[in-house]
Amino acid sequence: MDVKEEEVLLSIRSLQKTYKTGDGVRDINLDIRKGELITLLGPSGCGKTTVLRTIGGFLNPDAGEVKIENQSILHLPPEKRPTAMVFQSYNLWPHMTVYDNLAFGLKLRKTGKQQIREKVEQVLKLVRLPGTEKKYPSQLSGGQQQRVAVARALLLEPKVLLLDEPFSALDAKLRMEMREELREIQAAGNLTMVFVTHDQEEALSISDRIVVMNSGRIEQVASPQDIYDQPSSLFVAQFIGRMNFLNGQASKDGIQVQSLRFGNDKGLAGEVTVAVRPEDMVMQDPSAAGMSGTVRQVMVLGHYAEVSVETPAGMTKVFLPREEARALLTGAEVHLGISRATAYSKTS
Amino acid sequence: MNVDKAGLIKMKGKTERTGISSQTKASITGLLMVIPSFALLVFTVIIPISLAVKESFLDTDRAFSLKNYTYLFTDKAMQSNLMFTLNLTLISTALTLLIGYLLAIYLRFNEGRITDWIRKLYYIPMFVPGVIATYGIINMYGNHGWLMRIGNALGFESFPRFIYDYNGLLLANLWFNIPFTTMLLSSALAGIPNSVIESARDVGAGKISIFAKFIVPMTYKTLLVAATFSFMGMIGAFTAPFLIGPNAPQVLGVAMQQSFSIYHEVGIASAMAVFMFLLCSGMGYFYIRSMIKEEPAAR
Repeated sequence: MDVKEEEVLLSIRSLQKTYKTGDGVRDINLDIRKGELITLLGPSGCGKTTVLRTIGGFLNPDAGEVKIENQSILHLPPEKRPTAMVFQSYNLWPHMTVYDNLAFGLKLRKTGKQQIREKVEQVLKLVRLPGTEKKYPSQLSGGQQQRVAVARALLLEPKVLLLDEPFSALDAKLRMEMREELREIQAAGNLTMVFVTHDQEEALSISDRIVVMNSGRIEQVASPQDIYDQPSSLFVAQFIGRMNFLNGQASKDGIQVQSLRFGNDKGLAGEVTVAVRPEDMVMQDPSAAGMSGTVRQVMVLGHYAEVSVETPAGMTKVFLPREEARALLTGAEVHLGISRATAYSKTS
Repeated sequence: MNVDKAGLIKMKGKTERTGISSQTKASITGLLMVIPSFALLVFTVIIPISLAVKESFLDTDRAFSLKNYTYLFTDKAMQSNLMFTLNLTLISTALTLLIGYLLAIYLRFNEGRITDWIRKLYYIPMFVPGVIATYGIINMYGNHGWLMRIGNALGFESFPRFIYDYNGLLLANLWFNIPFTTMLLSSALAGIPNSVIESARDVGAGKISIFAKFIVPMTYKTLLVAATFSFMGMIGAFTAPFLIGPNAPQVLGVAMQQSFSIYHEVGIASAMAVFMFLLCSGMGYFYIRSMIKEEPAAR
């Protein structure tokens, strides 16, 4: 997905940063539009935080360029950059009240007292914590602390808000609520955000676009829908969502997995890995073309069931509506079809 | 839970038979365990202090009088001893804190080979016995010490006086106290998460306001602890002042030893000890009060 030049707010060009250990990032190119929520997603150590900290000014890159509104910001220290950052934890200053935490940046900007008071009140309302001005961070729960941290960053009216796994220390339910709230705030203010996470569910749920990173490089940049439906590499296919990997044979006519055959859009040849989402596996009549297999396990997971089927192509997971799965017993012979699949060359 | 209850009932049955309740038994055991340390406290601290206090109020005829204290605060030589000690202690404490704090901050926020070396070396003085370190100072800074010999070879004629002088005592105090102070402050600074400093920079704080608004408020308690320890250690210093201090005025520790062992003026020595004890307990009170005054922001 290319971004038109006039819309670009933040642009990163050939960014490179290598640590002494040899880790780091390279060839990072990314354009972020105004009002967009972009997620940097990847396993730990993939370099997503490095990219974020470089934008924020806490790291100096070895090479490359970072521009905001077409102005290079690399020469600016963090305190002078039009960015604000929300950290993973220990965001708030423990020796200051919530009010002082929020007002500190405004005081440095010589904002009037009355105005500071109004702004603090307003932003606390925005993050649903009105009346907590006099509390100390230690008197707030983890979720409340992160909300204040987001509020503090918002008060600075940054051009780009950077969030470094801000919700990873919270429990699952709270994380979900915070995600929704953040998305609301982002949409309401048309804010530009760069969000780092290793949680693919989080990335899929809040992003306009996801940048999937792996060992210091960008693997794919696309909307959550496209990332899920058309992972561009085997890594992305493995990293995002649940996936079955079956051995297949590619030729000019198509890709063959057991007795099933699909089109060969990518023009692959030889041994290939065929990736199929569990929800794209379907139970079929024995008469239709497909793979036969034996049910090994049926697990009911709420509204759906996960069925493990042993096939000649390997152990396969199938997601079925709960009602359908009820009839299946361990050891039963079934016949599987595939409604959608993506193939990857084994050598790459 | 059930097992515990069963055990409890069993115990109750047993104690009822012997006639002592389990509670009394527990309190007796508790007392027995406290007695050794309490006795140690009584015989090594409380009784000697009480005796010294009593002694300080007795004149040569063993009658109650304030003579010793009057002498302590009016005698010219004693007055200058007191002033000398207080001056030395306060200046040494201030310098120790300043240098220790700077060193700790440098170590916290810098990386590199030099920093690594300083980090490995700075606490070595803590493991050098006082007497040996003092002789080291004599060898280094004495009239025929290394510094002077090297200075002479390089053509320097005069050299500031260190040994048997205020400067030497200041130097010794710094040598003995900076490592521990730095260690204390380093651990306090290590307790400040990076994200606190980074978020402060992020909202626009420069170096000076980060120092004044974040680093100092988050470490001042440790600074206070370090100040207390340094002060108490220095005001009662003996080894170094005895070996390399001036003959007059003297540090209280040395003056006390002389009154006691050489002039056999037990009353005056006791009065000095009581005064020193009061100074230290004042410091201790100050320290304990600020520790108890728990802030809501305490981490």
